[in-house]
Amino acid sequence: MTIRNTLRDHGQRYRPRMACLKKAEKVVLEMQDPKTGVKSQPQRLVITTIPHAITGEDIIAWLANRFQIDAQEARNFGSMLAALGYIYPIQDHKRLVIKPDASLYRFQTPYFWPTQQWPVEDTDYAIYLAKRNIRKKGLLELHEQEQYNRLHKWMNHKWDFIVMQAKEQYRAAKERRKPDRVVFECQERAYWVVHRPPPGTVSGMDYGLDRRIDPNAEEVKTPDFYEKVMIFTQQSIMRPRVKSSVSLGALVKYCATYNSHDPFLSKCLPSNPWLTDDVTYWTLNMPNVETPTKKRVERWTFSFGELLSDQRGRNDFRLFLKKEFSGENLAFWESCEDLKWGTAGTVREKAEQIYKTFLARGAPRWINIDGKTMEITVKGLKHPHRYVLDAAQTHIYMLMKKDSYGRYLKSPVFKETVKRAICPEEHKFSQAQLEQNARNRRPSVSPIVLRQQELEQKAKMAASVDITQLCRFTTPVPHLAVYSGITDFPSSNASPSLPFVTNTPVCPSPISLALDSTSVSERRAEPGEVGGEGNSGTRAPATGHVSKSRMALSLRRLLRRGCTPSNMFASLSPKCHSAAGTSSRIQPISPDQPSQAPPRRIGNFFQIKVDIPPECRIYPIESEDEDEESRAASRGGGVGAKEIICPWESLTPQNGTG
Amino acid sequence: MGKEECKTMLDALNKVTACYRHLVIALGSTSDSQNLREELKRTRKKAQELAVANRTKLTSLLKDKSISKEDRAEYERLWVLFSSSMELLEVDMKRSLEIGQDFPLKVPTRHLIQTGMTGSTTAVASRAMSVQNMKYEADSNIDTADLRDLQTEITQVSHMMEEMEMKVQVAPWAVEAKQEAGAELKSNMSVGNSSVGVISICEEEPKDEEAGGGRDTGFASICAVFVFLVIVGVAVVLGYLVINMS
Repeated sequence: MTIRNTLRDHGQRYRPRMACLKKAEKVVLEMQDPKTGVKSQPQRLVITTIPHAITGEDIIAWLANRFQIDAQEARNFGSMLAALGYIYPIQDHKRLVIKPDASLYRFQTPYFWPTQQWPVEDTDYAIYLAKRNIRKKGLLELHEQEQYNRLHKWMNHKWDFIVMQAKEQYRAAKERRKPDRVVFECQERAYWVVHRPPPGTVSGMDYGLDRRIDPNAEEVKTPDFYEKVMIFTQQSIMRPRVKSSVSLGALVKYCATYNSHDPFLSKCLPSNPWLTDDVTYWTLNMPNVETPTKKRVERWTFSFGELLSDQRGRNDFRLFLKKEFSGENLAFWESCEDLKWGTAGTVREKAEQIYKTFLARGAPRWINIDGKTMEITVKGLKHPHRYVLDAAQTHIYMLMKKDSYGRYLKSPVFKETVKRAICPEEHKFSQAQLEQNARNRRPSVSPIVLRQQELEQKAKMAASVDITQLCRFTTPVPHLAVYSGITDFPSSNASPSLPFVTNTPVCPSPISLALDSTSVSERRAEPGEVGGEGNSGTRAPATGHVSKSRMALSLRRLLRRGCTPSNMFASLSPKCHSAAGTSSRIQPISPDQPSQAPPRRIGNFFQIKVDIPPECRIYPIESEDEDEESRAASRGGGVGAKEIICPWESLTPQNGTG
Repeated sequence: MGKEECKTMLDALNKVTACYRHLVIALGSTSDSQNLREELKRTRKKAQELAVANRTKLTSLLKDKSISKEDRAEYERLWVLFSSSMELLEVDMKRSLEIGQDFPLKVPTRHLIQTGMTGSTTAVASRAMSVQNMKYEADSNIDTADLRDLQTEITQVSHMMEEMEMKVQVAPWAVEAKQEAGAELKSNMSVGNSSVGVISICEEEPKDEEAGGGRDTGFASICAVFVFLVIVGVAVVLGYLVINMS
């Protein structure tokens, strides 16, 4: 059963945004009227004369007269007709504009009109390119050549047909007289300039997506139709309403605030790139520019949302928070955003990562959220989805907004930025310069390249994140000894999606962290991104620790089965004491630690349980729970010492990698 | 053999499709006329006859289970050619219906678009019909009367194409073209040339031979003229010297 070509869709495509086409057609019909339309003259070529050519100035004069508009507007309107494909220029055929001089234009034949909105097929384009190839004897223009190759690749099964048809059409065209042949070629060329615009030109036929139904068609009043009407009305009634005084007030305030920042309503400094073809405005407002413009900085003061949504503003804010040692809030917020907007496959890992870095007890960048939110979040993390961290994220957002944002606006960081912000001069281009700009238009950096740069930057930032700012709530070390991804079954840990784990051998941080709180910890916090880059300098002193921890771990592995927790913990207890001063965390991680902990945990880097050895009363309040948990865990096959278990892992034991 | 017949018929269908397209492009413009409508009608009829003939031939060939693999591949290729031709034809027929409705000939207020084309399309039509001279014998209301016929024909063609797709199990994307990119630059090919990769020059159309020959003789004549002028110039110079000397 072959797949039907969906383009042969019996007129199912409706492009209502192109309602202008029918109106343009009417105008064109009037224009070409031999008596009352634009007066035409013959075009003289070398040997032949072709009638029905019209000059640009005549078109503009006729339009101005007919619609009682001024010349500039008539010119724009004429250019629109040309851009849609009803009129085509004969000389400068690539630029579909009407020039107010004696340059010649001609009307397009109805077959090539866009009004009927027939689909523009690639087959036809391929045939056209083949014909052009014949005519130009192989010397196509660059973009035509590229298109030709592309179509040859993708329409290969039809290529015989295309070649045959091209030749036949070429020969059939030769049957006509010379003037008609010239006209026909011009027509076809103009048609394809409209529908396959050469690079660097804007297509007038951009219309967005096709719609499956015609919104202008009369809808048949079936019971379904009325059903839909009823549902719509019911939902409208149930919608929450705001008092109009409130909403209007908000609207007025918004307009007043943003009036001077709107490029349509006020001047866009230095100049609007769409009008003058000069891209200074965009370069000055790049996401990570060194010195932002004054207007941009002003926008940051409007609301916290503005500050965060602007990349440069966010960087500034991050700098400020770093000085205040509360950077983890912003980092958490950004990670939540990343989770929300990332791919579905990575949701699980990202959620786990975030939990470990920010939410878990003893996490390196622990954020301060209230108990209820923490409970909700932890419960939700059992079945992580995109919006599982929404409550926590909102809490942190409000925290930052109410607290840090105000201080930021008064801080020296911000004041410095304001002082250094630039205010560019307005451009004043002459007509000649404008044309020059139009000629020098170049495509911008490819989005693929931009995305790569973005990712690199993120990675760099993740590498250099400074989490030396540990508050007293963070990390007693012993957990973190194991935290560095060492699981029970490292050999069976085949999860490639846990980049975290791969960092184990080079991640000495937890122990060194406990001992001397160096900045090595930062590497551990974002292991996934970095993969080993980062402070190589601290690696040397830490290698000693690595070997120690490795030894300890291997010992633990040996003693795993049948070994009581206390035995294992004893080996690590010296390290416990150093962190004994920490106060308790908010609540137990998993309120429902089940007794059916699985014997094997495959590929879970969350082998971090909150078992605290009885000797090491770091969290005195939960010690009973811990004991229970640790027993349960060891019953379950011994995940070893001091591992933070993520609450969802216990419920879904064999779920392997994320 | 069946294959050769098929190929010639496909050639013919191809030619008629190309000519039909040319005719439809002229519709609605100043080169439109009574004659054009009649030409369209006759070309269309011819195209349909050819289409039906092709279809029966190809379906019978494809249904035959006892053909070899290469043969089958070849027939599938021909089938893809045929269906692409038919698609083009159908599209053109639909467009001609719409344009024909928009530009009736007899209504005085509706003018034909002044596109600059003023010649007639007789030559194209005679090429399509493979006749020397076209005779026009239609009556004056051909534009409106013909449209009804056209509508029925369009539905017939659509129907035929649907049937074709249902009955014949050919995967069009699996067909590999015999021509490489730029094949149109080489000399005339008809579909009858089936050797892979080797492009031999088949029967050349008389028109093109003339054109080609014309070009060559032109070039030769220019050369001859040039040589002649050179000789004359040399003779003049020598004569001058002789006269001067003596």
